[in-house]
Amino acid sequence: MDHWLAFARGPLFIAAFTLMVLGLGRLVVLELFEMAKSWLRMKDRKIPWSQNLKTLAEWLAPVRLIPRIRPLMSMASFLFHVGLIIVPIFLAEHVLLWKAGVGLGWPGLGSVVADYLTLMTIMTGMILLGIRIFHRATRAISGFSDYALLIILLLPFISGYLAMHPQFLFTRMQTMLLIHILSGELVLVLIPFTKMAHVVLFPFDRLSSDFFWRFPADGPDRVAEALHGEEVKA
Amino acid sequence: MEQQAIKDQTIKNEANREIESPQVLPAPAPKPAQIKKELRAYYHIKDEPKSDRVAMFLTSFAAVLKYTGYKGLLDAYARSSAKCARCANACHLYQVTKDDRDIPCYRTNMLLDIYKRYFTYGGKLKATILGDRGLTEDDIDDLKESLYRCTACRRCTLECPLGIDHALMTHLGRYILGEMRIVPKALRVSVIEQLEGQTRNTSAIPKPALIDTIEFLEGELKDNTGQDIKFPLDVEGAEYLFVPAVSDFMMEADTLMGNAAVMHAAGYAKKWTIGTKNYDGINYGLFYSDWALDHIIRQLVAEAERLKVKKIMVGECGHASRTAKQFVPVFGGALARPVVNCMEFAYEMLKAGKLKLKKDAIEEKVTYHDPCNIARSGWIVDQPRYILKSFCKNYIEMSDGGRRNYCCGGGGGTVSIDEMHDFRMEVGGRVKAEQLKATGAQIVVAPCANCKKQIRELIDHYKLDMELVGLHDLLLKAIVWD
Repeated sequence: MDHWLAFARGPLFIAAFTLMVLGLGRLVVLELFEMAKSWLRMKDRKIPWSQNLKTLAEWLAPVRLIPRIRPLMSMASFLFHVGLIIVPIFLAEHVLLWKAGVGLGWPGLGSVVADYLTLMTIMTGMILLGIRIFHRATRAISGFSDYALLIILLLPFISGYLAMHPQFLFTRMQTMLLIHILSGELVLVLIPFTKMAHVVLFPFDRLSSDFFWRFPADGPDRVAEALHGEEVKA
Repeated sequence: MEQQAIKDQTIKNEANREIESPQVLPAPAPKPAQIKKELRAYYHIKDEPKSDRVAMFLTSFAAVLKYTGYKGLLDAYARSSAKCARCANACHLYQVTKDDRDIPCYRTNMLLDIYKRYFTYGGKLKATILGDRGLTEDDIDDLKESLYRCTACRRCTLECPLGIDHALMTHLGRYILGEMRIVPKALRVSVIEQLEGQTRNTSAIPKPALIDTIEFLEGELKDNTGQDIKFPLDVEGAEYLFVPAVSDFMMEADTLMGNAAVMHAAGYAKKWTIGTKNYDGINYGLFYSDWALDHIIRQLVAEAERLKVKKIMVGECGHASRTAKQFVPVFGGALARPVVNCMEFAYEMLKAGKLKLKKDAIEEKVTYHDPCNIARSGWIVDQPRYILKSFCKNYIEMSDGGRRNYCCGGGGGTVSIDEMHDFRMEVGGRVKAEQLKATGAQIVVAPCANCKKQIRELIDHYKLDMELVGLHDLLLKAIVWD
């Protein structure tokens, strides 16, 4: 078992993390490439940068936005994201791993705070799952992966919490730890290939209105010619 | 006493402008059961293709992807759309119908699914391994329906945590259908007349009729104001080429008179002109085709070039203003010029003291409806309010005023499609009607030809006790003549 743990913690983690970084890097490069194409053909480059930054900041700390529409889902979603970002990076046990792996350390969270944050993440994740199942509009646009990803995301949190609290444990601690590490790595690998890619793509989505309404000047004529031949009519 | 109450209300409305949300509307939201089931966004299509629309759709889609810039957009959205459906509650259609097809993200994902399935390696691989039914004729019907129910008002974009522009996806979807000639007949007939007809405008108003109308308007202006206010035709080298929505010449005489009066009063009587070769600002290309959008813009800048004007001024019309502002730089090439909206101009003149208005010229309760196409981006929100407050005694804000306004229910070209009248009244405009009613205003100002027609019909349909006018209609009454 210890061999398995060492393998999951060592080479497998490095592989998963590298895959994630490379995958996300690829997405960013591809998106930057498309936007650069748009930028180069733009005649009028008046992008409202400050307005975009303002809305981006507003959405990162959505105090005013949460109560506006669907407050329960918005609140749950916000807290869920807070947990998702903070716990994996700042949990004291994880900081040790980061230090061993990348050589960089930072102050870790105390176990009590980490416990509450983990529980909050699990609970808000459950609420989001409930909303996905029971809210009419959200269910209408949900597919298999939308449910599956949410559950996969919760696995490392649940298993991590159980591993740290032997009183709830129904299996050997090492087994739970292995599940925790493997599911965490599964999440890392899935990020660039699923909708979780929004971790890096969200600023680009925000800019899409400004970049992609500026069509290439010769595009419409070329489309029409390709589809209808030289003699194009309205 | 009563005046104090009104004043308090005004202050309250002002304070609530940012935070008011649809939930606090006094009128209860209608139950879905009240809506007649058979209400669809049904519309006539000229020469609709009869067979194999799936192959046609994919061919059109492929061509659009190859020659335009939509790929980056689709890639970003397909990879990151988190599907939370927050947008559904922002949509004035979904609030009424609770129909899946009215969820902005549902519509976007219909297109994204097709894109992923047929134009990405991952999607093709998945389809090969898992097998699927692929795109069907029924899907095309669903898309058709969904795309033309949407009024492309972009309200949902403000509520999307990722900022996905669902209206741009609606535009793309309609463009692909448009290249297959699946276009509401009303829109296409107008565009054909505008690009290939004798009159070169969407209402088919010939030049002699234009001149007649203008002479009549000048006579009316003389009677109303005592001033010799002219509509200068074909003046070379003028500062502004004025293009209203051409339908204004038939339906909005007061607005046009207001436009001319503002130019005259501000000292621009000889610095603006209407071109007799192209006097139409309408651009239905925004609603279904980049090709039409492109060519209508080129026609517009060609007229500006013919008359050697410095700038283009668009009349009271939301989509005409937005298309000119946004796409003259894109498709205008070397002939592109700055574009302003007539309200921006009036605002500047008022601030500069060149336009003098009678304080309290209008005593009735006045409210303002923001046309989506000019307000959503924050472009024209404060200017009309500043103008109105300078001469209206009782100005009250509508709920969700400003960037987060609700669509009148006739956006996206739907107001021009007569077959959709019932849908626009019962579904599209219901939220707006409730908002209007809640203001208790006697006058609603809507500076957009589309909104004007729709809101007039709404007032009639819901028996609201108010009058609809344009901003310049009121300005005409408020200008002080020296």
